[in-house]
Amino acid sequence: MRSANDIRVWLQTTTGVVVVLLLVQFLTGVLLAFYYVPSVDHAYTTVSYIEKVVSSGSWIRSLHHYGSQWLTVFVFIHVIRLFWDRAYAANRIQWIAAILILGLVMAAGGTGYSLPWDARAFFSTRVAEGLMAGLPLAGQMARLWLLGGSEISGVTLSRFFALHVLVIPAVIGGVVVWRMFRTQIAELFGPRDAIVATLVFLVLALWALKYPAPFGPSVAEAGADYLPRPGAQFLWLYQSLKYIPGGLGSIVGVVLPGIVLAILVALPWLKRQRLIAGSLLGLGVVLVVIMTTVSYFSDRRDPRTAQQFARQAAAEEAWRRQPFNPATITLATTTTNVTGGAPVMYTKYCANCHGTQGQGAQQGPLKFPPLLNVSAKPRRSVDDIVSLLKDPTAYGLQPPMRSFSEKLTEEQMREIAEWIVKLRQD
Amino acid sequence: MNIDTSRRSFLKFLPLAAVFASIGGAAFRFLRPKLSAVTDAWLDVASVSELSGPQPISRKIVAEQITGWAITTEEHNVFVLPAKNNQVVSAICPHEGCEVAWEQNRNRFSCPCHESYFAADGSRISGPAQRGLDPLPARVQDGKLQVQYISKEQATRA
Repeated sequence: MRSANDIRVWLQTTTGVVVVLLLVQFLTGVLLAFYYVPSVDHAYTTVSYIEKVVSSGSWIRSLHHYGSQWLTVFVFIHVIRLFWDRAYAANRIQWIAAILILGLVMAAGGTGYSLPWDARAFFSTRVAEGLMAGLPLAGQMARLWLLGGSEISGVTLSRFFALHVLVIPAVIGGVVVWRMFRTQIAELFGPRDAIVATLVFLVLALWALKYPAPFGPSVAEAGADYLPRPGAQFLWLYQSLKYIPGGLGSIVGVVLPGIVLAILVALPWLKRQRLIAGSLLGLGVVLVVIMTTVSYFSDRRDPRTAQQFARQAAAEEAWRRQPFNPATITLATTTTNVTGGAPVMYTKYCANCHGTQGQGAQQGPLKFPPLLNVSAKPRRSVDDIVSLLKDPTAYGLQPPMRSFSEKLTEEQMREIAEWIVKLRQD
Repeated sequence: MNIDTSRRSFLKFLPLAAVFASIGGAAFRFLRPKLSAVTDAWLDVASVSELSGPQPISRKIVAEQITGWAITTEEHNVFVLPAKNNQVVSAICPHEGCEVAWEQNRNRFSCPCHESYFAADGSRISGPAQRGLDPLPARVQDGKLQVQYISKEQATRA
């Protein structure tokens, strides 16, 4: 029975993996906070900036995104393993800490979802709002406390931000420190733990390198046909909500998990431990596995849904190829009195690629042509440039140059064109 | 110490080393500052016809800068010196970059931070500043006096 014993020994390594993944979340979270701004008018821009402009930004954000999903899975495996080893009786602190961390990791995932303020975040915030509102007795109160007002607003985003980066990490840190001081396990990383934890991190690192974290369209740009989907660790909840009528969703999504976690935390003091924890974890595993699988296949079976996902993936891919579009911040009280400088709309839409003065620019591997002396070329009169802005392909131009007929008025395009033809290389 | 224990103690640090080496290396690139694109547009200061008299005239210019993830439009104080052929000087003190104010009754510019003083023509009188107020590149276009903005970082460079 040597091989069965071997497997069992390797299954003991979940603590190390959870510690490494927690560390990854802390490190990447701190880094993201260096650029991210939790406000409704800048959250989307700053996440775009991290994705497109900041070196390694896409990888760091993807590590944080997928790391949160892996962390949930490994904490859950960790709980199952502890259940197997009867840790709730043998090592109460280890057991309670694991259950608390499972709840906290889910809470961190739920609050973190809202922060990019893209269309996915908007919908997940709506669902969180609905789940709170549906709670029995205190539902409306819980909703108002979560949102910080009667509507989803900048206050809501700040609340999710504070919970996600201050409250929940502090509590997780507290639980981890408490567990480390109170358990007899002096060595966190035995040789096996070290190998497994390193492997898990390396696979996550490569995964994040290959798959950037999803980033939907901005709320304003998302069409009515936009299909939001939560992260992997919430698919079971998302799928369950389809089958549960109205307010009962809050019972399944919030109250029941809360009661289950509370019972599991109290398990060391209960009788019939094996039966209670076994049935709760068993039901949990069955529910999560079935619902996640059903959600996976139902999205792929319906051809219209599959087509919409393909469109969304293509739109996200197109967004990634477009250069970063900076926000405009006005700190001046007087109106602009710039002359000879670029028109405001040029600065907003064109300057990032073609330079503030039409000198051209470079973003990573992308090179953008200068506009100086462009009027000396054929088909570049003011009228030509206006038509070109409407339909660049008609002038033989390639993406990322795109049509601006929806972004700019005829007048604004003319103002830009008249300014561009005057650009000269000295 | 036999080989087995030393291998074990090496392994103990492997996961943390992997995390810190890869994320730490990326952190350096991630946090590296991006220099902002400075505009060299010509900014209106005033109509030449309004400018006369022996006193420096306080004006605001509005300049755009691409800083990080935003295009920031900010006001900056400048002084036109009609007595010195409409030279325009920056209000940024060349010492540490505070903004000087014109003291009408004492006929001098004073810096609120470290007591540097400058004469009506912008030249240094006393204090820790090592030179006078910086003149901005200026031109007259269609009867308007225009300047190019100089950032604090450029202005306080020795």
